[in-house]
Amino acid sequence: MPEVRQPQRRTVLQRVALVLLGLALIASAGAQRTLTVAQTVDIPGFDPHNHGLTAVEAVITNVFDYLLFRDANGDIQPALATAYEQVDDLTWRFTLRDDVVWHDGEPFTAEDVKFSLERVARDESLFEHDSFQQIAEVEIVNDHEVLIHTSGPDPVLLNRVSRKGADIVPAHVIEAVGWESFSVNPVGTGPFRFVEWVRDDRVVLEAFPDHWRGAPAWDRLVFRAVPEDATRVGELLTGNVDIAVNFPSQDVARVRATDGADVISQPTTRIMMLLFNTADGKATADPRVREAIELAIDKELLVEVVADGFGVPVEARVSPGVDMAPMKYYDRNAYDPERAVELLAEAGYGPGDLTIALQGPAGRYPGDADTLAVVQVMLNDIGVNTTLESLEWSAYNSRIWGADNVENIALIGLANSLFDGWFALRALPCDGAYAKRTNWCNPEFDQLLADAEFNLDLEERARQIEAAYDIVAEERPMIALFQIDALVGVSNAIDWQPRPDEMIWAFDIQPK
Amino acid sequence: MLAYLGRRVLQMVPILFGVVTIIFVLLRLSGDPVRLYLPEDASEQQVAQMRASLGLDRPIHVQYGIYIARLATGDLGESIRYRNQDVAGIVLERLPATLELAGASLLVAILISLPLGTLAALNRNRLPDLLSSAVAMLGRAMPNFWVGIMLILFFGIRLEWFPVSGRNGLASLVLPAVTLGASMAALLMRLVRSGMIEVMSQDYVRTAKAKGLPWHSVVVKHGLRNALIAYVTVLGLEIAGLMAGAVITEQVFAWPGIGRLAIQAINSLDMAIVQAVVILASVIVMVANLAVDLTYALIDPRIRYA
Repeated sequence: MPEVRQPQRRTVLQRVALVLLGLALIASAGAQRTLTVAQTVDIPGFDPHNHGLTAVEAVITNVFDYLLFRDANGDIQPALATAYEQVDDLTWRFTLRDDVVWHDGEPFTAEDVKFSLERVARDESLFEHDSFQQIAEVEIVNDHEVLIHTSGPDPVLLNRVSRKGADIVPAHVIEAVGWESFSVNPVGTGPFRFVEWVRDDRVVLEAFPDHWRGAPAWDRLVFRAVPEDATRVGELLTGNVDIAVNFPSQDVARVRATDGADVISQPTTRIMMLLFNTADGKATADPRVREAIELAIDKELLVEVVADGFGVPVEARVSPGVDMAPMKYYDRNAYDPERAVELLAEAGYGPGDLTIALQGPAGRYPGDADTLAVVQVMLNDIGVNTTLESLEWSAYNSRIWGADNVENIALIGLANSLFDGWFALRALPCDGAYAKRTNWCNPEFDQLLADAEFNLDLEERARQIEAAYDIVAEERPMIALFQIDALVGVSNAIDWQPRPDEMIWAFDIQPK
Repeated sequence: MLAYLGRRVLQMVPILFGVVTIIFVLLRLSGDPVRLYLPEDASEQQVAQMRASLGLDRPIHVQYGIYIARLATGDLGESIRYRNQDVAGIVLERLPATLELAGASLLVAILISLPLGTLAALNRNRLPDLLSSAVAMLGRAMPNFWVGIMLILFFGIRLEWFPVSGRNGLASLVLPAVTLGASMAALLMRLVRSGMIEVMSQDYVRTAKAKGLPWHSVVVKHGLRNALIAYVTVLGLEIAGLMAGAVITEQVFAWPGIGRLAIQAINSLDMAIVQAVVILASVIVMVANLAVDLTYALIDPRIRYA
């Protein structure tokens, strides 16, 4: 009897071992591919119409879709809308995909487009409202076709429906649970669906297999909020994250020297600019003085010193990918200190006669305090005395928007979320946001902008906008210094080029 | 005792009221949150619209009245950044993380300071004393921020013993707790040392030694326990400092606590959140000080509250 029992026990053990081995194999084969991204800020919620930050859109763009979507080159491609046509001056027809489902399985229809776009176009309390109020109504033709009616001819409607704020949200979910609940538990049509959000720590998304583009290459997508530069670099170096945004330029060489990661630079739409107060009596009232100041600045050297070369000198608020921005002003450095001294003399200022006040923020833009300090040195070199004031952002903002306004020169960084040249000039007309800071008013400029705002003849519009840029370049209420490059730390285990709109769209990212 | 507790809790109310009022006024004098929030070249119309929708276009005393009235019903206002979300919920959600960090740091500080301080006191002016005094001085001199980054560089990146940042289990608590606790430990260590030196020279300690009591009984039961009153006082005061230090530590280690929330809210003048954090922090500090006072009664039998 004992001889019979022992072989049975061994067989049972063998079977158990085989099962365990099988489970282990299955577990390793099913090991999740997770992409982890480290950003500087956490999202405030999943309400796409109400956050306003590019960094936040970079996260939630993975959960939602737009009607049209810019590809990695910045060209507009079909997304939820397969086709579009302009019916008349005030109407555009969009044909919608019929194979799209929400993360909860319900089908996507024209009702959702109407709900989403009309909300942001009509609710004045929403952050993004300003960029969508031109949409008067979204008319449902059938389940997969809509007509968008604009309040005036809108030459940039396509830009509008392909940018942040134009995310399409599910009417049926929000009508049931409300925005407060949706903000923390979203449902979208994007390639990733929501799993969990630990505030100030991480957003966890998982692949949505029924996405209309197909399932993404990653099982999980995690966005972590790591505000401190050194810590973010550390996370990339240890391989805990695959992508680290806002990379400090001084750590680039260090990371590139390692095997595991690289740092990639990508032009953004943000331009560092100087605003002048042109009011009579101010030191910067004379246009020759303003021209002299621009000629005194060696913008290439500025980029070298402040941003370690990660930037491009420009002479106007232009960057690649922005429609109707005259690129003749891109990558230009008109540095001419002798001419600057001459101009100052013509304006009646010898060396040491003129004093200019420089104001700027510290810690708001990469290298902002340094930029102002370098500009100060360059102005001193042409014989201009300077005073410097670098304030923390909220204090600076109060200063230049408050009663004291701009003394002579104020540093500011301006981005272009609409990717439109007209948008870049909108603060400068006589009743524009900057009018009381610059005290500059040119009716010819105003007329050009007014004509171009609703001009559907795109060629004529481009000419009008270029003429407006030329006036600004001539009279200098503001001058542009350089375009900022975004530096992104990327692990060598993934294949990805950062996008010009700074979106981190994981569907495009492939494991190597 | 209960009457004392009751009185102390009632006293918190006017203090909170005063703190809330001061912060409310200061915030509204600090600048314009709407301009901070919108893009740099937003139109006047957009700014006006947003200001109206946030109720910031009304006179300051009207805003104050509305705020206090809502506060009475438990409504802490509307956050500029976290739209359509409950402010109290947002703040309280982060409280466990900060309490965890503060608690762990306190533990680190106590575990370092008590033995080291006692050792220093018992070996006065000899090597262990000199060494621990040097360590104490270094601990107070090194800024929190720098210590944190150094620990990350060495233990997180080079040795990879601990996670670099984030809150993800016990291992991720170690580096931030050591960062925050180290500076406090340095201060407390000196207190233990001076307290113990004074106590150990007392007559009753000599008696205890003469009676032949075991070493640990003399040092701990007779010595440390009497030296602790000053220690506990400072500990209570340091809790407020702990909350402040947590702000920096949380930033360096990406720890999702109230400190991070506070920095963000202050930078963007998100008034409702700043006010809520200040209220919470005040309550915590007041409760901690009350706890310290009650601990006296435990340590020193001569102290009784009426």
